[in-house]
Amino acid sequence: MSLTATRRAILGGAGALPFATGAFAQQREIRIGVIYDYTGPFAAGGSLAAALGTKHAIELMNERGGVEGHRIHAIYADAQSRTEVAINEMTRLLEQERVDLIMGVFSSAHCVPMAQRVNQQRRFMWANVCVASSVFKDRNLEYVFRAQVHSDQFGEASCRFVHEVAEERLRKRPADVRIAIIYEDGPYGAGVAAGNEAMTRELGMRLVLKEGYAATAPDLSSLVTKLRRERPDVILHTGYNPDITLFLRQSRELGLRWRALIGHGAGYGQIDRLNQTFGRDANFIFNVDPVAAQLLNPASLAPGMGELTNEMVRRYRAETNAQEVPPHTSMGFNQTWIFLSDVLPRAIRNHGGFTPDALRQAALATDIPDGGTIQGYGVRFNPPGHPMAGQNSRSTPVVMQYVDAQTKIVWPRAIKTADPVIPLPPDHPYAAR
Amino acid sequence: MFDTFLLESVINGILLGGVLALLALGLNLIFGVIDVVWICYAELVMIGMYAIWWLHVYYGVPLPGAIVSAVMVVALMGVLLHRLVIEPVLGKPPINQLLVTGGVLFFLQAAATLAFGIEFRNLGLRMPVVEFGDMFFSFARLLAFGTALAGVLLLWLFLTRSYLGTAIRAISQDREIMPLMGVDPRRIYLITSAIGGGMAGVAASLLVLQYDVHPAIGLSFGPITFMICVMGGLGNMLGGFLAAFVFAQFISVGGYFFQIEWGYVIAFAFFIAMMFIRPKGLFSR
Repeated sequence: MSLTATRRAILGGAGALPFATGAFAQQREIRIGVIYDYTGPFAAGGSLAAALGTKHAIELMNERGGVEGHRIHAIYADAQSRTEVAINEMTRLLEQERVDLIMGVFSSAHCVPMAQRVNQQRRFMWANVCVASSVFKDRNLEYVFRAQVHSDQFGEASCRFVHEVAEERLRKRPADVRIAIIYEDGPYGAGVAAGNEAMTRELGMRLVLKEGYAATAPDLSSLVTKLRRERPDVILHTGYNPDITLFLRQSRELGLRWRALIGHGAGYGQIDRLNQTFGRDANFIFNVDPVAAQLLNPASLAPGMGELTNEMVRRYRAETNAQEVPPHTSMGFNQTWIFLSDVLPRAIRNHGGFTPDALRQAALATDIPDGGTIQGYGVRFNPPGHPMAGQNSRSTPVVMQYVDAQTKIVWPRAIKTADPVIPLPPDHPYAAR
Repeated sequence: MFDTFLLESVINGILLGGVLALLALGLNLIFGVIDVVWICYAELVMIGMYAIWWLHVYYGVPLPGAIVSAVMVVALMGVLLHRLVIEPVLGKPPINQLLVTGGVLFFLQAAATLAFGIEFRNLGLRMPVVEFGDMFFSFARLLAFGTALAGVLLLWLFLTRSYLGTAIRAISQDREIMPLMGVDPRRIYLITSAIGGGMAGVAASLLVLQYDVHPAIGLSFGPITFMICVMGGLGNMLGGFLAAFVFAQFISVGGYFFQIEWGYVIAFAFFIAMMFIRPKGLFSR
């Protein structure tokens, strides 16, 4: 797929928007500052896929007449995979472009300081993709909301999955399963790893190694050597794109074997990329993420959600020529759609407009039951005073597995579409012998 | 009890040192002769990696042909860099020289993003696994190590046994007097830039076997390469070569005994301490 052309299209379109004339220009509008990483390492790690999801949701809403008579005017900004750029762009959007709210954000490293600053200024932010629990934990944010899952849940999901399949599949008591946790040391990786560690200990499994590294590290060979020394059954890995490929490549070269490798979003959410780089070696990798909407049975969701998912998939494929639609696209689309179709209309109707306070009150009144969004989970935000105030209390991730270039849901059991392949088949290059 | 894993870490550190030494070689040559630091050196390596990917994957050029072409392309880029960017600021304050090559760094990153997109590219090669006893080593790293050794030997032979090499060394020792003795410094600078660029191309051909190429890959190697050159004594090629192995051992063995991040912390702390004790570099004369 040509992501270059896509990035140009987004930024080019963004540049043209301020010059729009005619009927749209006469209409009332809501200005949304959308920040993603369109360049730099995060772009191909899922940010661009999420940005497309957000863009398509906004376009679709405008095509359907906008929100309560208001056209959505999105101003897109590139964080360039650098936190300081993300903060500068946010400041520019709020102070010079005078946007009504900030939306988007792929990287948790950007999200943590941005959320803090927006809240201090009493402006409104709707976080779409970043997952670090530390964005909200014990910060009592009042003007920042996130319907997306958070990193503690990622950490919990993979451990519960391993615990459930230990005896049946790994032929080991959970207490004997050797777990290694490795992670990029930013807020995202550290957050997921903390969740992994807490749940490993709570479930009584054996933690043999927990170690972080910089996502830009040029060498992970000593980490691979230590993993070989500790002989983990299951490796729980959280990383972005360059570090994941480096880890898999060096693991193969340095003889590291495992019974299961479980990734947690970001680089592991890019099945096209993994297949292109590693071919059949990428077979049977697990990934914990909010589910890609197109994998869910539409009959289990509220009316209209299936059609919405089809529209998302159609637009993504038309723009990128890609066959696989990554989970990040669903995240970008779903969170944006929840805001535009549920929170924003309520703010305008019941709270007098779309000031930060009106949006805040509307967000706190959100009550979408399970099955009411394209990713399956419901939405109800934790109230002020809660340790995770502003975070959706109804979001849930799933465990997926890549089997012959197809994505299968393997956990939780209630919605699984395939049985997990665990441990790795003996003829797999990474299979423990 | 004998620790096989520790021995493996030491050997992997030596092999990593080979990769870093190869990167430091060209940069040190440029500084030693022209007295200018190419801040954008790692970005030239990135362009070389893209050239190999582009020729091999996109146009189906056999890998050896793609590598030779890429080395020539980056050598030419070295010449252009000198002619268009460095030459106008030769003799100007060092900060001006740093800023212009820093500008080239951002230019090359942005140009690569526009030309090749933000995706991670690779050759899709599977390198053979090298197993010795209970230890495993990267074939690509062994290749890089051998090339680094050959590179430093060839460069040394060129600089000490050829007329041109002697002229290059002479210019590096006294930039004022050599023009009076008939040496054309402009020509020597262009040849040195071509060799330095070519070395970046050689490094690119070995890195592309081990890493995905993307516009920001220079960030992974650029700062470490500069630290190695400074630690070995800027312009001191043998010093840079040895410093690469010292630095790599801190990363590899430090990372084995402690958290992998601590390997880098120890290496950087050693670098800072060395700057206090031997500010002109570990192997300065």
